[in-house]
Amino acid sequence: MKNIFTILRNTVKLEVRDKIWIALLAFGIGYVVIMLFLSDLVLRELPMVKAFALLGIYFFNAVMALFLGTTSFYRDVERKTAYFVLSKPVSRAQFLLGKFFGLCAVVFLTSVTLAAAYLAVVALAGGGFDAMGLLAILMQFLEMALFLAFAIFVSTFSSSLLSVMYTSVIFFLGHVISSLVDDARKIGITGIRYALVNVLYYLFPNLEKFNIRDFAVHNIAAPWASFGYALAYALAYIILLLFAAIWIFEKKEI
Amino acid sequence: MLSFSRVTKIYGKQKKRRPAEGPRFRREANEARFGRLAVDDFSLDIDTPIFGFLGQNGAGKTTIIKMIMGLLAPTSGTIMIDGTTSWDEVSKRKTGFMPETPYFYERMTGMEFLRFCSELFPVGRVRDEFLSGLLKKAGIYEARDYEIRTYSKGMRQRLGFAQALVNDPQYLFLDEPLDGLDPIGRHDLKRSMLTLKAEGRKIFLNTHILYDVEEICDEVGVIHEGKLLYAGRVKDFCAGRPLEERFVETVKEYNRKK
Repeated sequence: MKNIFTILRNTVKLEVRDKIWIALLAFGIGYVVIMLFLSDLVLRELPMVKAFALLGIYFFNAVMALFLGTTSFYRDVERKTAYFVLSKPVSRAQFLLGKFFGLCAVVFLTSVTLAAAYLAVVALAGGGFDAMGLLAILMQFLEMALFLAFAIFVSTFSSSLLSVMYTSVIFFLGHVISSLVDDARKIGITGIRYALVNVLYYLFPNLEKFNIRDFAVHNIAAPWASFGYALAYALAYIILLLFAAIWIFEKKEI
Repeated sequence: MLSFSRVTKIYGKQKKRRPAEGPRFRREANEARFGRLAVDDFSLDIDTPIFGFLGQNGAGKTTIIKMIMGLLAPTSGTIMIDGTTSWDEVSKRKTGFMPETPYFYERMTGMEFLRFCSELFPVGRVRDEFLSGLLKKAGIYEARDYEIRTYSKGMRQRLGFAQALVNDPQYLFLDEPLDGLDPIGRHDLKRSMLTLKAEGRKIFLNTHILYDVEEICDEVGVIHEGKLLYAGRVKDFCAGRPLEERFVETVKEYNRKK
């Protein structure tokens, strides 16, 4: 446990010193703050401000998670920096988990910073304290944690560029797959084609479970059960991915 | 004592090309079928203060040192340190390792890096005075608060050496430690190794620089194509002749017999 924490802390320290992280965070904050001025000029309505701001936060978090997840772990292994760690009394599982939790902490830090900017902007735009907006950002963070777990899993057996491609495909499929199943049902697709869509549905993570932005935008309370379900879903998926990643990494010749 | 017992390492199958036919290509064909043989039935007990492992590039030296540190798994055989498997946590607590051409976390300072390495041992955080002492011994104390990305190649080698000592190890494994160092750096590092030897530590050194072996090693092992061709005292190996001459002769003789 101590080793995981040491690697976690080291990962956070290194990543927040990266100019790319600083630039992305600055752009993210800038984008959210600009919503305040746009609300006066163009958007006029608070829901529009919230919708654009939440979408922006989601975008910046996703770019951050993609960048960190596909480069950080891979770089340590490929450039052999991991030799320094793994030659000490540190297991490969501890190293991988330390990296994962460290990257989660960096994305969480990003989410918290952008959430603070968001809450300030909504309050200044006359929306008061937006608790649902905060929950929506928290749900986005869960999705990003799953995203990071997938990126690290892919990084254990493929190059950084391929990891970006695989993770992007998962990101895309994860958002459209539930609609695909619904559409297939509506237009009456049956047999092997329907079975195939269902296989895809159960094979890939359903990222739409974490999207409660519409509730937040219109200030409608989302059912609490959906939070619990999303949390359990994310945890189960993350644990599964990390187990698989550790299993592959234990066998990998570095 | 460091003991190797019938250690063999075969890297994964070669999938890229189809080997040509005929006896001349037997080795290539075998590699294509069974994988590349990097270490071949290697057995040896080492209990000498400084042991130098000599071999050409690709002879299998780095593979052996990586197997000792648990970075690679042997295909068969065992490596033990004082009766415990070398990649076991108990063994790792008393070993230090310096990889060949070390790559660091570039945005860390030298001091932060040593602190990070020391925290990976169960004894907990090592006092900064001890780490400062290591940096002083390595000759990079003045640069302790600079980011590693500003370090020269020689400074990186020195930092790599310093980090191998954070746990005050009994056994030290150094993979080409003198590569890229200037004459003063080489002199300093060799002096440090002799000091560690005087303190009773054991050093396992990978190198292809024969002069260094002659100067500081008590015993030498000659490896070629994954096979151990000689292991014993340097003086016995040379038998009054230059080490380079003996090394070349040993390798050529092996190639002729093959």
